Amino acid sequence: MSIHIEHISKRYGAFRALDDVSLQIPHGELTALLGPSGSGKTTLLRIIAGLEQPDPGNGLIRFQGQDIAGIPVSDRRVGFVFQHYALFPHLSVFENVAFGLRVKPRKQRPTPQVISDRVYALLELVQLASFADRYPAQLSGGQRQRVALARALAIEPEVLLLDEPFGALDAKVRLELRRWLRRLHDELHVTSVFVTHDQDEAMEVSDRVVIMNQGRIEQIGSPQEVYHRPASAFVMGFVGQVNVFRGGLPGPVQQGHGVHGDGFGAIYFVRPSDVDIRPLSGAEAAQALRVARIHAAGPLVRIELLGRDEQLVTAELTQERFRQLQLEPEQQVQVEFRTVHRFDS
Amino acid sequence: MRAPSEFRFNWVRATLLGVVVLFLLLFLVGPLVAVFGEALRKGLGAYFASFTDPAARSAIWLTLATTAVVIPLNLVFGVAAAWCVAKFRFPGKSLLISLIDLPFAISPVIAGLVFVLVFGRNGWLGSWLEQHDWKVIFAWPGIVLATTFVTLPFIARELIPYMQEQGRDEEEAARLMGASGWQILFRVTLPRAKLALLYGIVLCNARAMGEFGAVSVVSGHVRGETNTLPLHVEVLYNEYNFSAAFAVASLLTLLAFVTLVLKTWLERQGAHARVAP
Repeated sequence: MSIHIEHISKRYGAFRALDDVSLQIPHGELTALLGPSGSGKTTLLRIIAGLEQPDPGNGLIRFQGQDIAGIPVSDRRVGFVFQHYALFPHLSVFENVAFGLRVKPRKQRPTPQVISDRVYALLELVQLASFADRYPAQLSGGQRQRVALARALAIEPEVLLLDEPFGALDAKVRLELRRWLRRLHDELHVTSVFVTHDQDEAMEVSDRVVIMNQGRIEQIGSPQEVYHRPASAFVMGFVGQVNVFRGGLPGPVQQGHGVHGDGFGAIYFVRPSDVDIRPLSGAEAAQALRVARIHAAGPLVRIELLGRDEQLVTAELTQERFRQLQLEPEQQVQVEFRTVHRFDS
Repeated sequence: MRAPSEFRFNWVRATLLGVVVLFLLLFLVGPLVAVFGEALRKGLGAYFASFTDPAARSAIWLTLATTAVVIPLNLVFGVAAAWCVAKFRFPGKSLLISLIDLPFAISPVIAGLVFVLVFGRNGWLGSWLEQHDWKVIFAWPGIVLATTFVTLPFIARELIPYMQEQGRDEEEAARLMGASGWQILFRVTLPRAKLALLYGIVLCNARAMGEFGAVSVVSGHVRGETNTLPLHVEVLYNEYNFSAAFAVASLLTLLAFVTLVLKTWLERQGAHARVAP
């Protein structure tokens, strides 16, 4: 089910949580709402679910073209996964997943056999069928979140909303679960929106990323688009690392590359992977930089360079290029840039 | 250097412990022994005879009947008030919280007098009640009213912090899965607050059975009719019927023990429940 959000605003006292936000979420896609805390992403998710009301005005939310303002939360067919799981501690895993089926009005309620079959099918899906009789307190964080997901799917939702679903988990489990979520989505194709402040997570899992800042949408695009063609200085800085140069670049732009962006200011943004290092030749001594630190552990070698004015430049080289250059700390080098972005700020 | 300081520390500990034990002996163990000693002074036969006396039986029944009505009333009020305060935002919320505490702050005797002023013969509703032949003061309804008033904060006070701490995620999850308000209350909120609820009921029960001041004002002390257990103890004592008075008092004391054991058990359960997740 597609979701159309038009001109939604939300204030909490003097704080603008959402400022005239409009967004289209196509049917069957997995969309990430990415932004720092306080950017309004969770508020937007909760408004879609109906847990918060947008400020009155000309704002509108449609599911598959239908205005949902008058539809109560319990009838929206929204599956919601909370950051802290929100499992019912007094119910077993089985009963947690069965909850949405058991509370249906008598006429719509499936028979016990149907409920049992569906719950076990969902527990199979999240690989927890053997845990049906356990209680939430007896599960690990990752297992709890999978139960929460099975529970959200039990009502056969048209829309699945996930609020920082991996936020309370440790790094390794988080990595596993997000790949698993992506595979699950590829199987089920439920229109899904998940909130995260982790740009790696958003980039890896989602079809589309919506980057939010201070209650506004900064950019909407595929992970590649927002990474390679950021629409603003904020997006550039939030999605991946970036070097910021005010007043000018401390080196030339390589042939075949150019300066992107429509800003008129003289503030330049370059990703570390777009910085190349070359041995210093006498003619360019004015732009010499000193190798300050070398981090060689990892697939890429990160090198921190310091210019004459103590300007820090971070470069990422392949291991191969690094060996080729034979860089040493304190060595004098010069840099060249590939893709450079320029924004007003 | 270490030994003397530890030695002194032990002295401090021993002194403190001694003070505590002394107070307990003086104010708790002594009276308890006295209660049971006096009650059993004339032997087991006389002890049990104290309970078969019609006036004693009537007092026991009255106390049980009152408690049986007061606790459900308190349950409804406590759950409703705690749910409002813990799960919703509305103007006047802090005022409501203060009002819930009011019965704690008011002397029970004053509380009883308030009901006499409202429902008594010369009270606001007195003549209207008399016309309809409804007796409130010096009758069972008055006792229930006074006891309810005095015990009103117990369940709400136990539930509010517990429910506030739990947050609203689970209720929201239930709502999103299609549960109605009643289903959320009975399937999610109350089962999660079960221990706090039971704890509140135990405390409320103890107070309801033991309440003296407020009930004393509204009951009228009609022997065999409007005397609750604590009032019956007073009547027997004033009649110099000490062994019967202490026998009935021992019944109330036993009740206090049961309450204490239940309370401790519930607290343990609560501690386990909190450790588990």
